[in-house]
Amino acid sequence: MVERLTRVACVWVDAFAAAAAERAEPALRECSMAVVTGAAPATRVVEANAAARERGIRAGMPEAEAVARCPELIRRPTSPACVDAARRALLDACYGVSPRIEDVAPGLVHIDVAGLGRLVGDEGAIVERLSRAGRAVGLPARVGVAGTRTAARIAARAGLASIAAGDEALALAAVPVSALEWPEAIAHALTRWGVATLGELAALPRAGLSARLGAPGLAAHDLARGVDDPTPWLSWSPPPFWEEAQELDWEIDALGPLVAVLARVVERLTVRLSAAYLVADALELRLALAGGSHEARTVALACPMDAPRPLLTLLEHDLAARPPHAPVTAVAVQARAIPRRAVGGELGRSTPPAERDLATVLARLVTLVGAEAVGAVALADSHRPDAFVPARLELEAGPDTRADDREAGDAVLALRRLRPPRRVSVVTDGERRPANVCGALAPEARVVDCAGPWRVSGDWWDAGAWARDEWDVALSDGAVCRLARDLVSGEWYLDGVYD
Amino acid sequence: MFSLGTMTPASWVRAETITEIVGELSSGRTSLMLACLRDVTVAGGTAALVDADGAFDPASAARAGVVLSRLLWVRCGGRRDAALAATDLLARCPGFALVILDAGETPPRVSLGAAFRLRQAARRARVAVLLVGRRRVAGAGATLALRTRRDALAWTGSRRAPTRLAGMSTRVHVLRNQGAIWDPSLLAATSNERRWWSA
Repeated sequence: MVERLTRVACVWVDAFAAAAAERAEPALRECSMAVVTGAAPATRVVEANAAARERGIRAGMPEAEAVARCPELIRRPTSPACVDAARRALLDACYGVSPRIEDVAPGLVHIDVAGLGRLVGDEGAIVERLSRAGRAVGLPARVGVAGTRTAARIAARAGLASIAAGDEALALAAVPVSALEWPEAIAHALTRWGVATLGELAALPRAGLSARLGAPGLAAHDLARGVDDPTPWLSWSPPPFWEEAQELDWEIDALGPLVAVLARVVERLTVRLSAAYLVADALELRLALAGGSHEARTVALACPMDAPRPLLTLLEHDLAARPPHAPVTAVAVQARAIPRRAVGGELGRSTPPAERDLATVLARLVTLVGAEAVGAVALADSHRPDAFVPARLELEAGPDTRADDREAGDAVLALRRLRPPRRVSVVTDGERRPANVCGALAPEARVVDCAGPWRVSGDWWDAGAWARDEWDVALSDGAVCRLARDLVSGEWYLDGVYD
Repeated sequence: MFSLGTMTPASWVRAETITEIVGELSSGRTSLMLACLRDVTVAGGTAALVDADGAFDPASAARAGVVLSRLLWVRCGGRRDAALAATDLLARCPGFALVILDAGETPPRVSLGAAFRLRQAARRARVAVLLVGRRRVAGAGATLALRTRRDALAWTGSRRAPTRLAGMSTRVHVLRNQGAIWDPSLLAATSNERRWWSA
């Protein structure tokens, strides 16, 4: 069953490949630029930006002819990664306005705007909002609103902002057929018949069109009247990981130029996240290296963030600590996005470190001691000794509400762990209690006092079963230690020292 | 009294200063450090622990009431130079209520100039710095220095065959007090005060 939508907006970006290239290199907007494909001498123009089109550059034109018409023309090779990133950016921008969108083609998005009136305003405001969202991610979007997807699409291309419900055929009547792209047979027939506008096309008898042009003729007739084809609406939902990529025309083997490229990539990624009211929860950097190999690295984030500077600093320090093995030919930064949480500060409570400061410090600490040695931890759900798991550092200021459960004067004796536990040799007495310990803190120490055994075991239902007897011992060298005897191997270990 | 009730950063581990806790192994210095961490994290502050030897036990800290999610733990794998550098970095980051360097049994050598630079960094970032180790390293750079000594041990179970360590009491001595504990009665009570830590 075909779903009926009351109002649909269409966001369309003209010459999308060129717009994607301009998004990656904003300086190109000031120049005549064409995206080209194919090996010389058969290189042809795929798309050209507005400045180049004014100079007569058209899609399909040989590169040599384009350069002859516009000697200062800048050429960029087709970049699928760049186009894909721009396509996702446009989708993200539209998703920030309405949760129901359809990804039709690169640079073409349908948005269900029914019900947005109370949130955004009238249709003029919706058009303005979508245009602004497109510009925010670096894409010059044109927007049309109508009662059908087809009419909205034509309205966006023809510059008609809004078409009232039921007036599609009337509103589209003046649109020249040359404003749309047609199959070659249809375009040839329309030219031969002298049909100049969609209104003239819509006035043609449907049966005659079907007889002469077949199904494409009927599709063209529906298009001219703004009638939708029976394709169901395919809603797009954002992926859990958001990626921004850039292919390089040259190989980079130094940190400085690579960071400059990453700065643009991270900037674009954070703009997309901001547009969708999301923040990055985890970051992954993937590098394509000369020779065809790839390298991926995960960068720890102290807290969810969308500020480009701290993210770039983290990447820079990670690259400085672990340089790529070969020159880089393409970069991709991927972020796991989570919804932004609104956190309000309260008067009189301590302020946690700013994200920017903390990210910088963490990046330097990771460079200093390694990523696995920095971070917060939480106790693991296990009775196994020294079981903990990495956790997220909590940065919300405010007293801990769980503190009420604890006694105010609770003073607990700390254990200083030895990691890994040190293997020791223990001489036991007649009652099989430790009497002498060799290889602990001193070469040899006599046990002055001891308590135990305290038997603990776990995972007996699994292959990793463990069991041990724990002894608390006071040694003649002054240390109070926890010894453990592994019941599986029979070995003694120094677990830690009470302090 | 010198009790956990007064062991708040506002009482003696003060922001913008360096405090030192020294003592031999099994003297209670780490337990005292956990008490400081507990007070800071429960009050809502973010703390950082630079662990030179990687000896910190999260289970002990959780039992002591430390909010682990507000503690940044930096393990240096025995590298003293890295531990010092990490402490210096963290002391320069505003927002941390407490930065602790647990230097373990072999604290690094710190020149007086470096100690004063660390204090200056803590002052600028309004961070309290706590140095814990076998011996003092900050010299005159520290505002308050305490020494812990083990007093007694207690065991649970029968006297002949106890089953577990019940606790340990320690005495705390003030080695240096550059105005950190300004109340004479509190200072007198603090010196040689006995604390009990339950295992």
